Amino acid sequence: MENEKQILTVSELTKEIRKTLEETFEQVSVIGEISNFKSHISGHWYFSLKDADAVINCTMWKGFNQYVFFTPQDGMKIIVNGKLTVYPPRGSYQLDVRSMKPAGLGELQEAFEKLKKKLEAEGLFDEKFKKPIPTFPEKIGIVTAIDGAALRDLISVAKRRFPLVEIVIAPARVQGSGAATAIVNSIQLLNEYTGIDVIIVARGGGSIEDLWAFNEEIVARAIFKSKVPIISGVGHEVDFTIADYVADLRAPTPSVAMEIATPDVIEIKNFINDFISKSSTYIEEIIETRLQDVTALNKSYGFRLPMDILNRKMQQVDISIGRILQSKEKYSMVYDKKISLLSKSLEAYDVQRSLKRGFVLVNQNSKFVTRASDFNKEKNARLKFYDGEVTIH
Amino acid sequence: MTKKKTKSNFEQDLSRLEEISRILEEDNVELEEAITLFDEGVKLSKSCLKTLKEAELKITELKSELGKYTQIEE
Repeated sequence: MENEKQILTVSELTKEIRKTLEETFEQVSVIGEISNFKSHISGHWYFSLKDADAVINCTMWKGFNQYVFFTPQDGMKIIVNGKLTVYPPRGSYQLDVRSMKPAGLGELQEAFEKLKKKLEAEGLFDEKFKKPIPTFPEKIGIVTAIDGAALRDLISVAKRRFPLVEIVIAPARVQGSGAATAIVNSIQLLNEYTGIDVIIVARGGGSIEDLWAFNEEIVARAIFKSKVPIISGVGHEVDFTIADYVADLRAPTPSVAMEIATPDVIEIKNFINDFISKSSTYIEEIIETRLQDVTALNKSYGFRLPMDILNRKMQQVDISIGRILQSKEKYSMVYDKKISLLSKSLEAYDVQRSLKRGFVLVNQNSKFVTRASDFNKEKNARLKFYDGEVTIH
Repeated sequence: MTKKKTKSNFEQDLSRLEEISRILEEDNVELEEAITLFDEGVKLSKSCLKTLKEAELKITELKSELGKYTQIEE
């Protein structure tokens, strides 16, 4: 009956195996390549790790995988840490993963290239989808860490360049686990907000791990889906992320992103001041031109014509006046002659002559007495001779 | 965001100023018109400069709580 005692139920055996495995492999680190990666709706991850000759099933619960800064991709070589356990319903052993990291930076680089190729093939980087960045934004949305240096830079640039703008910050973690989801949510949030003209997705410099959220597929798709144009300003000049490729415009740094998004107040002021001085000159030029036009017109044949006409008329008048004067002279001469003739004939009737011939003029009461009947014998009379007068009584 | 909104007053003023500048530069405007435009331009210049001088950056922070977003004005 010893043998009978040895008989175990499946569950009992499984329990024993599980105990043995868990105690033996309580803390193991394993390197391998990811395959069949699935992120379940519950938030748990299911995948396999494999190498050339073997494969092992893995699980990573939500409580642990939320601390992973990258989204695992099939083919990525990773190092996991966890314990071996058994899943009784299936009678299989599996690795219960507690932490995970890429086997090397090369792995991230590879994942980056892979995603880049995939999205590029889908057309997410196509120039035709790039939305224009407005010149005069009223509201600029910002997706970045609320306590980051990037935000301080963005605000100071906005203040300096275009304080007319309103900054709307949708804070998001930009590093570590959950960063990608937070960035996606913030982009959506700003798309729902009224009146955002442009969104800046930014983060200061850091390692490839630090910037990894911007290389996540969900971030790329959220940027692509955004109806508001997006400028990316992630890391330094040399850092290129997937977000940069999908964004409508890539700025090398957060500060430059804000410079691109805003017009420069100094340039605007210069333009305005320029306008005032330049347009005064234009006006002066216009007046000068018109003045020249008027002067030229004055000198033109058409304008001279009336003067000519006037001059001609003047000449005619002069001529007429000349004629009038001439004829006046002529007439005067005629009259002069007539007058002298008349004078001569008058001379013939000159009283003096008669007096000389012995006639006398009789004057009574200051009147000449021409008839004897008019003569008053009682009164004095004055007799006028040729050579003098006498009074008779 | 809906379709492209109407331009802001500042943007409108500035583009009008650019337009006036262009018209004046072309030098085939009537003198009266040029002077009217110049007057308008100077007025716009002054109002734009005033707006810029008085501008202060406005910052709004959006906060996400349980899927509901509240707005915090700074």
